[in-house]
Amino acid sequence: MQPFNNQAVTKFSTQLISRLLLPQVATATLELIINKALALNNNKSLSFSAVAQKTLTLELAELPFTLCFTVNTTPNQTVVIVRSSTECSDCTINTSISTLNKLKANQSLTQLIKQDELDVIGDIKIAQQFANIAQSLEIDWQTELAKHLGDVPTHKLLQFGNKITKSLAATGKQVEADIGEYLVHEKRLVVTSSQLNAFNQKTKDVANKVNSLSARIDKLVANIANK
Amino acid sequence: MSSTDQNSPASDLSAPLNKPSDADTSADNESTTHFGYKTIEKDDKISMVAGVFHSVAKQYDVMNDLMSFGIHRLWKRFTIDASGVRPGNKVLDLAGGTGDLTAKFSQLVGREGKVVLADINSSMLNVGRDKLRDKGLVQNIEYVQANAEYLPFEENTFDIVTIAFGLRNVTDKDKALRSIYSVLKPGGRLLVLEFSKPENELLNKAYDFYSFNILPKMGELVAKDGASYQYLAESIRMHPDQETLKGMMENAGFEQTSFKNLTGGVVALHKGYKF
Ligand SMILES: C[S@@+](CC[C@H](N)C(=O)[O-])C[C@H]1O[C@@H](n2cnc3c(N)ncnc32)[C@H](O)[C@@H]1O
Repeated sequence: MQPFNNQAVTKFSTQLISRLLLPQVATATLELIINKALALNNNKSLSFSAVAQKTLTLELAELPFTLCFTVNTTPNQTVVIVRSSTECSDCTINTSISTLNKLKANQSLTQLIKQDELDVIGDIKIAQQFANIAQSLEIDWQTELAKHLGDVPTHKLLQFGNKITKSLAATGKQVEADIGEYLVHEKRLVVTSSQLNAFNQKTKDVANKVNSLSARIDKLVANIANK
Repeated sequence: MSSTDQNSPASDLSAPLNKPSDADTSADNESTTHFGYKTIEKDDKISMVAGVFHSVAKQYDVMNDLMSFGIHRLWKRFTIDASGVRPGNKVLDLAGGTGDLTAKFSQLVGREGKVVLADINSSMLNVGRDKLRDKGLVQNIEYVQANAEYLPFEENTFDIVTIAFGLRNVTDKDKALRSIYSVLKPGGRLLVLEFSKPENELLNKAYDFYSFNILPKMGELVAKDGASYQYLAESIRMHPDQETLKGMMENAGFEQTSFKNLTGGVVALHKGYKF
C-alpha cells in the first residue's frame, strides 16, 4: 500500500476548498457580520480615519486561505470589506487560533513573536489601530436582540455574551499594551522567520518588476527597430 | 421581448439543442457572426444584443441570483480577490451592467482612486447607476456608455480592466481585447470572468439540461422573457472554451495569461497582463 502522503492530502484539500469557493463564502459571511455590527455601533465619536483604506491581513495556520480586512470610509458610512488575497496588505499577522487563545491567557505578544508563534509583517501600528477600534465599538445588544427575540431569551443570551465580551476586551487590551511594549523595546532586536519571508517575497516582487520592465524595454526596442 | 418579435433571439423555447457544427462555430466570416445559435449579419448583432439587455435590465439582478443560486456573487468575489486592487487604482468595469464589481472596486480604491462603469446598454447603465447611488457609492464612480470594441479612453489609462459575463455578447471579441489592451497601463491586468466549458462530461450534460430546459422557463416565469434567456444559454455554448480564449488574449498582446476554472469550469476567470 502507498504510504499516506501528507503533502498530497494537503494539496487535495486546498484544491477542494478553492473549488468550493470556501474562501469567498467565508469572507462574504464575515463581511456581513462585521458590517451589521458596525451599523449597530453607538459610539459616534469613534474615528476610523487612521485605518481608512488600510488593509490588515490574517494568516491563520488553521485556515488554508488568508483573510484581508479593508476599511472604507465615506461621509455617509464606514464599511469593512473582507477578501481573501495575498497581494494587498499593509500589515499581515501570521498566527494560529491556538496562539490567539494563548494571548487571551495573558501570555505576552512579544513572547509569542520571539517564540515564532506569531509574526507581524508590515506596519504593526495598523494592527494596533484595528484592535483599538474593535475594542471601542459600543453596541447595545440588549435593545437590538430584544427587538428580534423578546426580553427573557435576550437576558439569558446576554449573560453568556457578557462573559465572552469581557474576555475579548481583556485580550484586546493585552494586544494593545503588548504592541506598545513591542514597539518601544523589542522591535529592532527580533528578526522573525516571516520577516525573512517577507524580505524574500519583496526580493521576488522586485525581480518580477525587473522582468516586467525588461519585457517592456524589449518591446520598445523591437518597436523602434521596426520603424 | 416577446418570442414573436422580429429580433427575437429564439422563437422556439422547447427546441432541442441544435448547436451549429464546429465548422460553423470555428470562425466568424467577414460579414457574419453568431447570435446564440443563429448566424446573423455582424451589423445586426449589436442591436439584437441591445434588445436582450434592454429587455432584462430591470429584472437582471433578481434573475442572476435565481439562475445561479446566488453563486455569481462568489464568482465575482473571486474576481475581486484576483484583481490585486489597491487604494488609488483606476479600474474599468467593462460591460459592467448593474455594477456588482464596480461597487466593491469603488470601496477598495477609495477616494484617491476611480472606477469607470462602462456598458453599451443605457438601460443596464441606468439600473446600475440607481443601484450604486442607493448604496451611497457616488464619489469615485464614472458611468460611460461605450462599446468594448472602441473604448473611448486614452492609451495606458487603467491599472485593472474587468469584463464579467460580457465578452460573449461582443460582436468582435478580438477587437475588444485589443481595445482593452490599449487602455491598460503597462503592468496592468485584465480579468475576464465568463461562462466556459465544464471539465466533466456529466456536469456538462446536467448543465446543458439546466440551461436549455429550466433556465428559459425561469426567464419566462419571472421576467416574462424566455427568449432572452434562451439566447443567454446559447451564447454561453458558442463562447470560446478556456484554451481558445487564452490564445485570443495572447494574440491581442497579453502576457503571463492564465485561467482558473470555477464551479467545475462552468465559469472561468482568465487573467493576462500588459507589459
Ligand atoms: C450578462 S451582463 C453582465 C453584467 C455585469 N458585468 C455582471 O456581471 O453582472 C452583460 C453586459 O454586457 C453588455 N454588453 C454587451 N455587448 C457589449 C459591448 N459590445 N460593449 C460593452 N458592453 C456590452 C450588456 O449591455 C450587458 O450589460
